[in-house]
Amino acid sequence: MFYRIAGQYKTSYGADYALFPIKQDAWLLALILVFAFVVFPLTASDFMFRALLIPVLIYALAALGLNILTGYAGQLSLGTGAFMGVGAYACYKLITIFPEMNIIGAIVLSGFFSAAAGVAFGLPSLRIKGFYLAIATLAAQFFLLWLFQKWAWLYNYNASGAIQVPNTQLFGVTITGAQAPVLAQYFFVLITVCILTAFAINITRGRIGRTWKAVRDMDIAAELVGINLMKAKLSAFFVSSYIVGIAGALFVFLWRGAAEADLFDIQLSFRVLFIAIIGGLGSILGNYLGALLIVALPVIIGTVPAAVGLPISSAMVEHLNTMIIGALIIGFLILEPHGLARLWALMREKLIIWPFPH
Amino acid sequence: MNARPDHSVLADQEGSARDDLLMDVRNVSLSFGGVKAITDISFDVRQGEIRAIIGPNGAGKTSMLNVINGFYTPQVGTITFRGVERRSMKPHDAVRQGIARTFQNVALFKGMSTLDNIMAGRSVLMKRNIVWQMLWRGPALREEIEHREKVEEIIDFLEIEHIRRTPVGKLPYGLQKRVELGRALAMEPSLLLLDEPMAGMNLEEKEDMSRFILDVNQQRGTTIALIEHDMGVVMDLSDRVVVLDYGKKIADGPPDEVKNSQAVIDAYLGVPH
Ligand SMILES: Nc1ncnc2c1ncn2[C@@H]1O[C@H](COP(=O)(O)OP(=O)(O)OP(=O)(O)O)[C@@H](O)[C@H]1O
Ligand SMILES: [Mg+2]
Repeated sequence: MFYRIAGQYKTSYGADYALFPIKQDAWLLALILVFAFVVFPLTASDFMFRALLIPVLIYALAALGLNILTGYAGQLSLGTGAFMGVGAYACYKLITIFPEMNIIGAIVLSGFFSAAAGVAFGLPSLRIKGFYLAIATLAAQFFLLWLFQKWAWLYNYNASGAIQVPNTQLFGVTITGAQAPVLAQYFFVLITVCILTAFAINITRGRIGRTWKAVRDMDIAAELVGINLMKAKLSAFFVSSYIVGIAGALFVFLWRGAAEADLFDIQLSFRVLFIAIIGGLGSILGNYLGALLIVALPVIIGTVPAAVGLPISSAMVEHLNTMIIGALIIGFLILEPHGLARLWALMREKLIIWPFPH
Repeated sequence: MNARPDHSVLADQEGSARDDLLMDVRNVSLSFGGVKAITDISFDVRQGEIRAIIGPNGAGKTSMLNVINGFYTPQVGTITFRGVERRSMKPHDAVRQGIARTFQNVALFKGMSTLDNIMAGRSVLMKRNIVWQMLWRGPALREEIEHREKVEEIIDFLEIEHIRRTPVGKLPYGLQKRVELGRALAMEPSLLLLDEPMAGMNLEEKEDMSRFILDVNQQRGTTIALIEHDMGVVMDLSDRVVVLDYGKKIADGPPDEVKNSQAVIDAYLGVPH
């Protein structure tokens, strides 16, 4: 009914590369963007922005970065949290060393630091794969976290050991720091995430994306069709860690406002990994669905029962949350390894042929 | 090598003097630890021909292809391809020089569509860097469309339009073999190595595949080296045949001569050496 492909023909290969072969998909995206850019800013409360919208976007971005490495290039990483940390600390150092630097410049540059760290810790992937590579990235996670704790220069020798985000301005509007209006922060995050998502879509559907997927599906065959494995793997680590690093910088500068080393611990790595798995490995859309689910779940458990006159303790909220996420992970791994994104694709297919069953 | 028939010696001497030589394999030996997979094999491939490599199981045929495309490095011997001599090289360099291949056990990218698999075969021919790719504009988009057109020609040629978007992991075996041929063709090779392209196919599929191989050879002028067990196919398709047995060359020449050679008959009947 809503989804109809009749009468939509393609007349050139150029047209076949349109992002949305079906018009309705474009409308759906337009609708989502209208909500993101117009409806939410006009209606959402501060709580909605801080507890839901901003973190969903940032977690989705981090998961997108991880998904490029794991879902597209097939290299498992458990170091996402630490690479987010590299982005955050790099941004902090850049802003404090060069106070006149534009916040956009600092964030764009901070991604290159995490990208470099990603490539360095990705080097073992040239010799080892799968489980062993995961262990190597785990080592990166612990090493970097230790560095964040012990290397006092990173947090400017603050007695607390934490980094405190300074006030910065963009076009005369305070964008980071305690005084920043949440709406400005939301727009900053939203635009950054949109741009990086567009880049990620383009890279993954072109030559480089194909080399990544080829390496993921069968690395020996990839080499034998002329793909340089080293370039393919390291470029995946680079792009992935760049995006993850930006997500880390946004995480601290546009959302938390302050950070201790422990923020970037293994829990964060797993959180992002769960988002990618629940959302769907090898999918861009999935990262958003996964992030929405993981971020919204505790908010819903915390507010809905109370609203219907069934207050539960905050400890209970946490337990419930952990249990549900655990069940979801196991469920998806067993039943639908391609996650929510695949569920959506199936639903869309049903809609296209609806109401005819075949 | 007393088993080698006379005409093969002649063919060799004649071969090295010819100017339509595409590849010359000289005295190649390859062993894995104690296992000798290939022992002192020499043969050549001429421009534009279909060259069959046959022999019983474990004769060293696949190993020979692996040496040619750089996947294995032989302990002894050289390979001269288009006038350049070498012993070892990286497989991706072999592709760059124009050597493409298919595999005995299909080696496709299972999670990718037919289209993407064949496009992946053109990776080495595509140049645009990550910045252009990111923007998906101008040169990157033009390049993508240009290569897509070439790939669509291959898809038409192999008659696989209907499975363009299907993940290849879901295709039946016969079609997978066809997609794999498409991926190799996408590399625009000057030498195409086919490792048992018809294994496990029914008669009709074999006929289709034979037709594709002949067309590739005749229309595109691609030189082909092919491993095949089906003698009928080998006799029909190939210009010259080299026969291996226990890693040694036992015959080399036109199909009908080779077929009647005593050494070959013995090898296939399993006469002890
Ligand atoms: N990577 C390897 N390691 C050890 N031994 C190998 C390896 N590859 C091949 N061999 C051995 O080399 C010999 C030749 O094998 P090869 O695969 O080249 O035979 P083939 O002629 O292709 O046989 P088939 O018709 O069964 O495909 C066999 O004895 C095989 O066990
Ligand atoms: Mg073989």
